Amino acid sequence: MNDPSSLPLTPKGKNNLQTNTNNAVKKIQSIQNSKFMKLLRPILGVVVSLYIVFRLYQVLVVQHEYGPDTWTRLLISGLIIGGVYALIAIGYTLVYGILFMINFAHGEVMMFGAYAGLYSFWAFKIIPVAGNPPTNFLNAYPILAIILAFLIGMTVSATLGYFLEKIAYRPLRKAPRLVPLISAIGASIFLQNAAMLLFSPQLRDVTNPEILRRGAGWTIVVNGSNVVLPYTGVFTFVLSILLLVGLYILVRKSKLGRAMRATALDKKTAALMGVDVDSTISRTFIISGALAGAAGVMWGLHNGLVYYFVGFIPGIKAFTAAVLGGIGNIPGAMVGGLVLGIVESMGPAALGIDFQLKDVLSFLILIFVLTFRPSGLLGEVLSEEKV
Amino acid sequence: MKTLIRQSIRTGITFGIVQVFFILIAFNTMIGIMLAKVSGIKNPGEIPAPKFLIAYTILMGLWVGIAALSKKKSLPAGQKLVAGFTASLISAILVGLLEIGMTAILVNKIFIRDFLTVLSFDFIKATLFGLTPSMGILVTIGCILLGSLVGVGLNILSNLHAVQEHWKKDLAFIKNISEKVQYSIHGKYHLIWQIVGISLLAVAVILIPMKWGSYWNYVFGTVGLYVILGLGLNIIVGLSGQLVLGYIAFFAIGAYTMALLNAPEPHNLMWGFWPALLLGVVLSALSGLLLGLPIMRLRGDYLAIVTLGFGEIIRILLKSDVLTNFTGGPRGIQNIHGPSLFGKPFNSEVDFVYLIIAGVILASFVYNRLQQSRTGRAWLAIREDETVARASGVDTIKYKLLALAIGAAFAGLAGGIYASRNQFTGPDEHALMASINVLSLIIVGGMGNIPGTILGAFTLKGLPEILREFANFRLLAFGALLVFMMLSRPEGLIPSHRPKYSKPKETAADLQKKEVPHDK
Repeated sequence: MNDPSSLPLTPKGKNNLQTNTNNAVKKIQSIQNSKFMKLLRPILGVVVSLYIVFRLYQVLVVQHEYGPDTWTRLLISGLIIGGVYALIAIGYTLVYGILFMINFAHGEVMMFGAYAGLYSFWAFKIIPVAGNPPTNFLNAYPILAIILAFLIGMTVSATLGYFLEKIAYRPLRKAPRLVPLISAIGASIFLQNAAMLLFSPQLRDVTNPEILRRGAGWTIVVNGSNVVLPYTGVFTFVLSILLLVGLYILVRKSKLGRAMRATALDKKTAALMGVDVDSTISRTFIISGALAGAAGVMWGLHNGLVYYFVGFIPGIKAFTAAVLGGIGNIPGAMVGGLVLGIVESMGPAALGIDFQLKDVLSFLILIFVLTFRPSGLLGEVLSEEKV
Repeated sequence: MKTLIRQSIRTGITFGIVQVFFILIAFNTMIGIMLAKVSGIKNPGEIPAPKFLIAYTILMGLWVGIAALSKKKSLPAGQKLVAGFTASLISAILVGLLEIGMTAILVNKIFIRDFLTVLSFDFIKATLFGLTPSMGILVTIGCILLGSLVGVGLNILSNLHAVQEHWKKDLAFIKNISEKVQYSIHGKYHLIWQIVGISLLAVAVILIPMKWGSYWNYVFGTVGLYVILGLGLNIIVGLSGQLVLGYIAFFAIGAYTMALLNAPEPHNLMWGFWPALLLGVVLSALSGLLLGLPIMRLRGDYLAIVTLGFGEIIRILLKSDVLTNFTGGPRGIQNIHGPSLFGKPFNSEVDFVYLIIAGVILASFVYNRLQQSRTGRAWLAIREDETVARASGVDTIKYKLLALAIGAAFAGLAGGIYASRNQFTGPDEHALMASINVLSLIIVGGMGNIPGTILGAFTLKGLPEILREFANFRLLAFGALLVFMMLSRPEGLIPSHRPKYSKPKETAADLQKKEVPHDK
C-alpha cells in the first residue's frame, strides 16, 4: 500500500500532533518551572523581608528614636483609619464576591455620604432650639443629631449604590470584564464632577456636635507623657466595629445573607434554587453603599474636611485592604482594613522613612500581596481564571 | 393603556430628575449662553436673556417628548399623544417643585450657596425667566409641555406612511451611492485610491500646521502625543489584552529623563534632545520589563490595580521631598531645552507639530508591522485565551513582557517630546487621571486599531479644546460618555476587525491523498 509517511493525515500526522502536544506540555512546564521564574520570587521575598528586618532593627534598636508614647499614638490613629478602610473595603469585597468586578465608583459613593453627613450637621446647626441660653438642634440633642446624620448619609449612599448598579452595571453583566470596569471608571468620573458642580470645588469644614469636638479626648499617660484618645476616633472605631459585626451576622444568619452567599458561589444554580439574583445583587449594592455612607460621615466627623475628591484615595486604600485580606472574603476585608491602617500609620516610623511616603507603602503592600499571595491573608486559593 | 401610562410616568420621573440635576449644575444658563452666542450676541454675560432660557426649556421638553416615544413606533397617534403628555407633565411637575423650592429660598432670602453652589439669587431669578415666581413656574411647565408636544408631533409625522416612503427612497439612493463608492475603493481601483488618499493626507499634514496659529498647533500636537500614547497602550491592552492602569508612569519616566538631562536645574547635564529621547525610550521599556517580571501571573482586574499602584508610587515618589534634590520635587523641572535638527533649533509650535507627526507616523508604522507579524498573532492568541495560547506553544510570558516593554517605549517617546515641548514637567501631570484618559481614548475610538486610536484622541483631547464653553462640564460629560459608550457601543466608534488568516489552499493532489485512508 501507500507509504504512510507521504500522507498528511495518516498515523504519521497523528504522531506529529502528539509530539506537538507533548512539546506544548513540555514548553508549559518549562515556562512554569524555568529556574529563573522559580527562583525570582523567593529571592525577591527574602531580599525584601531581610531589608525590612534590617530597617526595623536600625530604627527600633540602634536609633531608638520614638518612645512607647509615640507608638501608642500611631497605633491609635492606625486603628481609627483602619476601621474606616474596613467599612469601605466591605463594599468592594461584597461586590467583587458576587460580580467579579471592581466597583471603581465605590469611593465616590462614600464621598456623597460624606457630603450628606456634612450638610446634615450644618442644617442641624441652623435649626434653633429654645432654651437658656438658646441653642441649636445639633447641641441640644447631639445623640439624635448624630444618629440622624448617619441615617441620612447611609440612605443617600445606599440609594446612589442602587442606581449605580441599575444604570451602569446591570446591562453589562454578561459583557467581557473590561467593559464594566470602564463603565465603573466613567461613573466614578461622572460622580466626582457632579459633586464638584453641585457643591462647588471648595473644601468644606464639618461642624461637629460639642460632645464630639475634634481634637478633644481622654488623656492617658504612657511612659510619662500624655497620649490623647480622641472622642471622634473612639466613636468612629466603635461604630465601625459594630457595623462590621452587624454585617457579618447579616451575611451569616439572615435569609438575604444566604442568598448573597449562594449568588456569589454560582449565579445560575442560585437562580434554580429560587434565589432572585437581580434583587440580591441590588441589595448587595444597597448594603455596601450604606456602609460606605457611614464611612463617609465618619470620615467627615474625624478628619473634618469634605470635598469632591475625598473618596478617591480612601477608595483605593480600601481596595488594597480588601485585596490584602483576600477579596471576596468578609472577615478578610475587616482584618485587611485594620492591618492596612496600622501599617500605614506605624510603617513609615518603623521603617524610618518619610511620612509622605505612607501611600507608597500601602501600594507596595498591594503589589506584594498580589504578587506573592493573590488570595490574600485569609482568602481561599482562587483558581487562576478568577485572578 | 395602563402599562403605557405607567411607562410614561417612569420616563417622566427619570427625565424630571435629569432636568432638576441640570438646573442644579447651572446647565440651563450654560446652554442659554451658547444659544445667545449662536444667535450673534457677543457678550451674553454670566446669565443669558430670558428668551434663551425659554428656548432651553422648550428643547428639554422636546427631548422628553421624543424619549417618551423612543421605543413605541407602532402606537396609534392618540396613544402617543397621551404617552408624551404624561411623561412631560410628570417631569414638568418635578421641575416645578424645584422652582417652588427655589422661590421659597428667594422670598425668604436664605443664603443656600454653601449647600448648592449655583443657587444664587440672580440665578434663581433667571431660572424663573425674570417673571414673578408663579408666572415663571407656569411658563416653565408650559414650555416643557409645548416642547414635548412638538416632539410627539415630529414622531407622528415621521411615521406617516407617505413620509416613510419618502425616507426609504432617500435612504436607498444614499445606500446606492455609498455602495458604488465602496466598490470603487475596494475594487480594482484600490491601489489608486490608496495613493490618492495618502498623498492628500500628506499634503494636508504638511500644509495645515503652517496655516494654523500656535494655539491650534498646540492642540494638534497634544492630540498627536495622545495618539502615540494610545497606540502604545493599544499594544498592551488592545493586542495582548493586559489591562494596565498605570500607563502614565512610563510617560513620566520618558518626560523626566528628558527633563533631567536637558534642564539647567537640578543637574545641568545638557545632553541634547536626541540622546535624551533615546535614553528615555530605553529606560521606559526597561521599566516596563521590570514591572512586568513579578506580575506576569496576574490577569484582568488584579493587573489593573497593581499597575495603578505602580503609577501612583511613581507619582508620589516624584512629588515627595525625598527626591527633591534629584527630581525637583513638587515644583517640577523648568526650562527644559528644546531639540535642534541640523543646527536649526526648534522654537515654534509648528516645528514640534512636525516632530510629533513624525513620531505618530513612526509609532503607527511599528504598530502596524507588529500587529501583522508572528508577534501580533501571539498577542491576539493571549488576549483571546491565555491558557489555550500557552497550550498551543505560545511563550506567554515572553510575549506579554514584550508587549509591556514596547508599549512603555511608546509612552517614553511621547513623554520625551512632551517635556521638551512644554519646557516643563511636574509630578501632577502624571496623575492617574492621565492614564484613564489614554485608556478611555482607545476604548472610545475602538480598541486595537489605528484609525480608532486617532479618532479617539481627536474626540477626547481635540473636541474639548474646540468646545471651550463647556469647560466645567467637560469631565462630567466625559464620565457620562464612558458609561454610555460601554452600554451602547462597547466595541468603540471604529470597531476593529479580527484579521482573517487564510490557510494554504489545498491542491487537488492533496485532496486525492486525503481520500486514500477512507478507502481502506
